[in-house]
Amino acid sequence: MRPDVPSRPIVELRSVSRAYGSRVAVDDVDLTLHPGELTFLVGPSGAGKTTLLRLINREIRPTSGEVSVAGIPAHAIKASRVAELRRLVGVVFQDYKLLPRLTAVENVAFGLQVADLRVSDEEATDRALDALEAVGLGDRGKSFPGQLSGGQQQRVAIARAVVAQPPVLIADEPTGNLDQDTAWEIMDLFEDIAAWGTAVLVATHNVDIVTRLQRRVVTLVQGRLVRDQPAGQTGRMAWLATS
Amino acid sequence: MNGRFPRRRLFQVVAANLARLLFGGAARSWARNIGSTAPALCSMALLLLMSGLVGLTAFTLRNVEQVQASQASLLHVYLRDDASGVDVSALFERLRTDPRVAGVAYVTKEDALARAQTIPGLPQLAQATDSNPFPASLDVQVKNIDDMGAIDALVRDESVVDPEQPTSYDRGAYQRLQAVLFGVAVAGLAFLGLLGFVAVTVTMNSVKSAIHARRDEITIMQLVGASRWMVRGPFVVEGAITGGLSGSLAGLATFGLAAAAVALGSESFAQFAPGVTVTVAAVAGALVVVAGLALGSGSSLLTLRRHMES
Repeated sequence: MRPDVPSRPIVELRSVSRAYGSRVAVDDVDLTLHPGELTFLVGPSGAGKTTLLRLINREIRPTSGEVSVAGIPAHAIKASRVAELRRLVGVVFQDYKLLPRLTAVENVAFGLQVADLRVSDEEATDRALDALEAVGLGDRGKSFPGQLSGGQQQRVAIARAVVAQPPVLIADEPTGNLDQDTAWEIMDLFEDIAAWGTAVLVATHNVDIVTRLQRRVVTLVQGRLVRDQPAGQTGRMAWLATS
Repeated sequence: MNGRFPRRRLFQVVAANLARLLFGGAARSWARNIGSTAPALCSMALLLLMSGLVGLTAFTLRNVEQVQASQASLLHVYLRDDASGVDVSALFERLRTDPRVAGVAYVTKEDALARAQTIPGLPQLAQATDSNPFPASLDVQVKNIDDMGAIDALVRDESVVDPEQPTSYDRGAYQRLQAVLFGVAVAGLAFLGLLGFVAVTVTMNSVKSAIHARRDEITIMQLVGASRWMVRGPFVVEGAITGGLSGSLAGLATFGLAAAAVALGSESFAQFAPGVTVTVAAVAGALVVVAGLALGSGSSLLTLRRHMES
């Protein structure tokens, strides 16, 4: 069961806009995410979903407005503090972004050790195996990405994103390359991760999953947040997620 | 994490991770990218070799300039072979008491011959004739180089002075030498600047291709929260490896060439390249290695600033 949503948000966007030249990708968006909350971010292609995720992870700065992650002002921090913020935000991509020369357990441990040099090999391996176990790949730790299916590779990517137990997890079209059954398995994982207390924000086009999971859904159209529907009230908006 | 390990254990863990992720990763990447690194390595080695040789040449020219400066204020007054000792002594005394003169030394014909035999080419000349062709002289050390002309005018019409070749005075010789040295220095610096530009550009391109080849790894490192120096460090180390190897090759070549030149022609070399010894060659070689390390890592840093986001 999903835990009760506490009142104190872990991610806050206040009047955030982001423009690329004359094109406005995100326009005056206000949004808060809470620990333990699984939120879907939907909207047609070019609506600004990826831009919004990149703002949270401080890959880009907002043109105006404020972005706060666990109290850190992402819009204002110096480049030298970006790494500190990113350790608080796990990221999952549509194309997995696993290193092909490393095994599954090495991929997960790599993410852990480059972010914190104090983690020993033994500890990194143990924690990586635990994370792989949690995503159902405890027996595939020695496999290379090329030896795994798309769904399994995405599970490894999720294990890497959560192995350091960040309070926020963002996923950009994580099921875009997967069949429907595998997509459901991945979404089950996100539900489990949210249940551990992590704020999970998933950008997706998968209308079926969004409709059936009945979680909070935030809809972007042409950069504007046009609808923010709480969990259990998502039935009538799913058409907006089509591109 | 904090406090879980004793401090020594923590230090070992950090050192091991640094060695593997920073240096090990850089070494593996360097070996993988050897194809794109080779041109940078060769051009940098060539630049550094030229730098070493130009540096040694500059050192030599500086010594030559110093020797010339000291010699420029030394006037040789050549004496007739049949000059009487009394007349020579009188001239000696007049020069010694002249307030513009720092000192006077009498050089016999034998001393002049002995001195000539240390100068390349002159021993053959000396042996070509049965008699000693070198005249006795009064070596006059002038306090101010500007007074050379006046001292020369004072002595050149003296009866004891050789009318054919009265003195060693050559108006403007020192200034001409300085002008030549300045021209050589400017040309050398321009040449080095051009080579440096080529080497830095080629190195930057090789680092750029390394960044491109590892873009997924970089993206992952950045997104999992690796610090900036952790992301950039391996590329700086890669640049330092390229620069260090180039520097080592060029340093060895610089040392080898200079040491061989010293060993092969020790006598004449000492005249043409005063001050250049095996020790100086070794120092030049070491400086070339250090310059290679700085050039390689510096070029990498420059590339990272231009081509890698934070």
